[in-house]
Amino acid sequence: MRAPAVTTPVAPTSRTLWGDAWRRLRRNKLAMAGLVWIVFMVILALSADLWVPQHFGDPERIDTENLLELQLQSPSAVHPFGTDRLGRDILSRIVYGARISLTVGVLATSISIVLGLFFGALSGYYGKILDTLIMRLADVFFAFPYILFAIALLAVLGRGYQNVFIAIGILGWPSIARVFRSSILSVKESEYVDAARVLGAGDSRIMVRHIMPNAIAPIIVYATMSIGSAILAEAALSFLGMGVTPPTPSWGLMLSEARGFLFSAPWLMIYPGAAILTTVLAFVLMGDGLRDALDVKLKEEG
Amino acid sequence: MTERLLEVDGFRMHFSTRDGVVKAVDDVSFTLDAGQTLGVVGESGSGKSVTALSIMGLVPSPPGEVVGGDIRFKGESICAMSEERMRHVRGNSIAMIFQDPMTSLNPVFRVGRQVAESLRVHKGASRAEADAQAVELLDLVGIPHAHERARDYPHEFSGGMRQRAMIAMALACDPDILIADEPTTALDVTIQAQIIELMEALQARTGTAIIIITHDLGVVADIADRVLVMYAGRPVEYGTAEEIFYRPAHPYTWGLHDSLPRHDVPGKSVLRPIEGQPPSLVDLPGGCAFHPRCPHATGRCRTEVPEPRDIHSGHKAACHYAGEPGFVRGSEPGATREVGA
Repeated sequence: MRAPAVTTPVAPTSRTLWGDAWRRLRRNKLAMAGLVWIVFMVILALSADLWVPQHFGDPERIDTENLLELQLQSPSAVHPFGTDRLGRDILSRIVYGARISLTVGVLATSISIVLGLFFGALSGYYGKILDTLIMRLADVFFAFPYILFAIALLAVLGRGYQNVFIAIGILGWPSIARVFRSSILSVKESEYVDAARVLGAGDSRIMVRHIMPNAIAPIIVYATMSIGSAILAEAALSFLGMGVTPPTPSWGLMLSEARGFLFSAPWLMIYPGAAILTTVLAFVLMGDGLRDALDVKLKEEG
Repeated sequence: MTERLLEVDGFRMHFSTRDGVVKAVDDVSFTLDAGQTLGVVGESGSGKSVTALSIMGLVPSPPGEVVGGDIRFKGESICAMSEERMRHVRGNSIAMIFQDPMTSLNPVFRVGRQVAESLRVHKGASRAEADAQAVELLDLVGIPHAHERARDYPHEFSGGMRQRAMIAMALACDPDILIADEPTTALDVTIQAQIIELMEALQARTGTAIIIITHDLGVVADIADRVLVMYAGRPVEYGTAEEIFYRPAHPYTWGLHDSLPRHDVPGKSVLRPIEGQPPSLVDLPGGCAFHPRCPHATGRCRTEVPEPRDIHSGHKAACHYAGEPGFVRGSEPGATREVGA
């Protein structure tokens, strides 16, 4: 999906490639909408303690006395998103759930990136047997159904949210490794890499200074989108009861708890569902916009 | 007597491929002294570039394999050098520039930084020192406002400017030898002349020896002292520029001359191309590799590989009939039969 190109009559002369990319990204309305939503969620999650009706970040401050009287209230001025079976404010739980989701998304993706870049670099740069070994290992990872593999990993590691992002992170590396490997393969053949070698630069210098910066764009795009999928995976695992342990607020867990009240209290499902949908969508749109913005071939017309 | 920088002695570089052994460079010999310029001329696939990469020690192995001969830089065998030693030589003592300046600069770094890089690698210069020297180098190769242009990215440079920047990069460490692999092929004709002039001017100033690889005899005529003509991986003629241009002895060199447009020779308005295609290196014709395209070929050419023979001291040609009386450029095909018998 590409936003309609807005033609600016005078292209400002750029000083940096990243500045160029940012300028192109800013023109993409969908990507900017995604970015705004992500920033909004981050601010919401960070500032939660300051304003939410119930403080699930801090058990001491939960008003346990009156909780039972508040169960299953429909949305109102006091509880804009209603309350759940235990009288907990849905809005508060969504906001605190955002902390979990975003943290899991970012940490899981970081783990995937570190592993993926490492193995992808080895595979793409050195090739031969190492390449075959790493890529066949990646194939093994791809051969298992994703959620089943995650459940199996969590069965070994145990539940809890650290283990959730570790499992999701480990499962994510093969895709990143493949993407990085293929972009290294194309960059490696370029003449400026030959030129660097002719200059007497060593392997590590060529890798870090010449190949990485040119091969990293697809990784940035992929990583952005993969934060979205990691959030989705966390929600799915929590929904299945293999992820975050209650009472930690998690969007997937909230959906799971809403199952029995689909018709009697639909707000239990609608709001966490909407949170997952919008946040994942925001990351995907953002990633899509980044892909266009970082595309060197489109740059010429910029 | 000037210093002997490079000795290539019966060098053979073969590639083993699925289709068979490719004799990319076969029995090539030449020498290069300080301040000299050698032109290496030939069609695509004649082994020019592989020769250059071999000198840089950059032919990947496998598939490349040195099967004979040696390349010595200041008496030290390049083929026997450790990778670490070789890395010290590359860029520092032997530098190289490539055909396409549009793709030879890294798009994500400022031009000045790239010129500075070899100073950082080889001389251990600090970032500030290297940057300052890079500006001087860019100025030296004729880039106007070098101070500001050093901060530009490659895509803000034109083709000719990029090739100048490449030359600045190559000359950063004041190398003994500069290898230029078709440095002007990707440029406009007017820019080509400028780049050649620049290389000559810089050579006069620094005394760097130059190996210029090209398929354009015109480029060689301008700049080279000695010329090596290659065909299908083998040297066919080697001599001074004067000998190659005024007394060429090999039918292939004649063919190259005939396919060159000349404005200074009256009556020569029609270009005569060399008939046929260069042979596949996997499946070379027997005998002289050039015989299927040679109008003078005889039965002997089909069966016997010609060894380079001395025409004159230092002027060699790999043709059975080279140097025979009457076997000169423009002689009728068929004359060889009597001459060679």
